[in-house]
Amino acid sequence: MSSTRQTPSDFLKQIIHRPVVVKLNSGVDYRGVLVCLDGFMNIVLDQTEEYINGQLKAKYGIAFLRGNNVLYISAQKRKA
Amino acid sequence: SRQQALASLASIEEPMDLIRVSLDEIVHVKMRNERELRGRLHAFDSHLNMVLGDVEETVTTLEIDEETYEEVYKATKRTVPMLFVRGDGVILVSPIGSSQAA
Repeated sequence: MSSTRQTPSDFLKQIIHRPVVVKLNSGVDYRGVLVCLDGFMNIVLDQTEEYINGQLKAKYGIAFLRGNNVLYISAQKRKA
Repeated sequence: SRQQALASLASIEEPMDLIRVSLDEIVHVKMRNERELRGRLHAFDSHLNMVLGDVEETVTTLEIDEETYEEVYKATKRTVPMLFVRGDGVILVSPIGSSQAA
């Protein structure tokens, strides 16, 4: 558990190459490995899976997500 | 193919690079209002405005039967030789070669 202060951009640098969940404003979930992102929250995921209402609906090899639709990016906490 | 996809992943530093690398490739675009496009990417800009060629548009609607109240998903397709897509409607862009099932 990180007790030092961290800015959002520090967080974003730390989670690159980790499996993440990206939730969109519409409620759709995308799970994949984070390749990169930018200041607009545009995201590129590898091995992307699309979940709608908890159900797997589609798979995309590499996907670009437009930042304005992104609600959050979540990463699993790294086990010590 | 997957190998080509991995090779292009190595050259990507920022998200717009993925779009740049996909020029002249066939892309799958998911848009607002339950619309999907599949076509060749000819041009784009930072707003994700795009020009797509030989594009197939799929509009998915949910219809409910008046009597049985059965929910039916209906997909309506059309093809357009050349299309300008306004970027603010774009949700997702994926080069088609990169996924296992085309």
